[in-house]
Amino acid sequence: MELDWSVDREGDASLVGFRVRNDGAVPRRVRIESRLNGPLLPPRRGGVPEAGWDAAGVTAVLDPGERTAFGFAALADPVDPPVEIANVEPVSSDADEAHETAAGGTDLARAAVRDLESYRPPRAAVDGAEGRHGTPDAGGDAGASGSDGHLPGREDAEGDGDAERVAARVERDPDQSATPESPRGSAAGGGVDAWFAAVEARIERAERLTDADLAATTTVVEEVDGLDGAGALDERVAADAERLRAVRDRAAALADRAEESEIPVEALEALA
Amino acid sequence: MILAVAGGKGGVGKTTLAYNVAAALDAVVVDADLGMADLPDGRGPDLHDVLAGAAAPTEALRPGPVDIVPCGRTLAGARAADLTRLAEAVAAVEREFGTVVVDCPAGRRADAGVPLAVADACLLVVSPRAFALADAIRTRELARELDAGLVGCAVNRVTEPPPVDPIGDALGAPAEVVPADPRVGRSVATERPVTTAAPESEAAAAVRALARRVPE
Repeated sequence: MELDWSVDREGDASLVGFRVRNDGAVPRRVRIESRLNGPLLPPRRGGVPEAGWDAAGVTAVLDPGERTAFGFAALADPVDPPVEIANVEPVSSDADEAHETAAGGTDLARAAVRDLESYRPPRAAVDGAEGRHGTPDAGGDAGASGSDGHLPGREDAEGDGDAERVAARVERDPDQSATPESPRGSAAGGGVDAWFAAVEARIERAERLTDADLAATTTVVEEVDGLDGAGALDERVAADAERLRAVRDRAAALADRAEESEIPVEALEALA
Repeated sequence: MILAVAGGKGGVGKTTLAYNVAAALDAVVVDADLGMADLPDGRGPDLHDVLAGAAAPTEALRPGPVDIVPCGRTLAGARAADLTRLAEAVAAVEREFGTVVVDCPAGRRADAGVPLAVADACLLVVSPRAFALADAIRTRELARELDAGLVGCAVNRVTEPPPVDPIGDALGAPAEVVPADPRVGRSVATERPVTTAAPESEAAAAVRALARRVPE
């Protein structure tokens, strides 16, 4: 077996890539394990590790002359070499098939989760999801909802789509809850408050990064998961600003209409 | 024995047949349609809770004329459900109560695939209309990939004699005709399986014939 590798650092993580080639004349099963001092994060699809991966390494069957590339991440300092061949054994094709069919229902179920389209309802369809928009979407989720073509544009939902929805709530909620027991002041509902709170937290963070000294910057950058996080925060705050303006315009327009509308209560009473 | 009741399309009567076949097998029926549950639910924990790791599978079992593991009705519950827990959950029900019939959702997403992967065998439900067959064939392919042997197919809600042999040939399993019968349609909502509500009916005979195809 030939093995070569590379290691990149990204934040606290080591990204290990390696290639393995079967230089023998028969198909062989090879087991490659991480030597890094930390938990191995295997490649995943649908939240399930790719076939062959476990907590310590990967097992694969290579035909003669076949070369395959693998990669994983680990929250650990790099060591040299980062991976080692733990075991190599020849496989006859019959034995290999037996091995495949011996895979139990659990493995098949994992394969189904990994290889079939996601079953999860899109986040935007789940009630009360607005509050959770406060954190940037995880990669896996973005992929999952990207396949749900019937959604009117996820990207949109992040932008003014949300503003529309929040504005719609502001508009709708007073009708629903303007009963004698609930004074108008509280009619806006918790959803809007939660959204404002989330936006405020983000803006505060962004403000701490604006013209900050080195120590303060380091703390905040750590809080937002590194430079990528800071970039994402910048984008989100820009989107927040746009949304806030849209809400402001709509709220102002509604307030004007609310002031202008006048219900002729006395005339109605006279008619009744 | 874990039997998955699948079918390509929605609305062909998978849930109804799963319920009635479970009655004939004296089995527990698990509603695995995470997004659009059909079997009656109860007050306690449901399959959403089990797949979210919040309840034991046997806690979710709701006794009745046919014991049911119901599924939650919320989209949030469906989102929180971890399908990789289904195998263990269904196996736990099987250990405790014997045969399990899993009612699968329509389509070929992971929520339809995982019950097939978990099951020992599957039963396909097809509508007698020609356009429905293509979907059933695709589900049959999925079942083959996921190692769920096809024990039979049910041509459901039949009003005129369907081309049983071509359907059986296309799906590669003997086809059983289940005639349209309002007592079958009502059986889930009223929790009266057709095999007890109308044991002499043709529909009950078809359900029993399907159940006989399921190996021990």
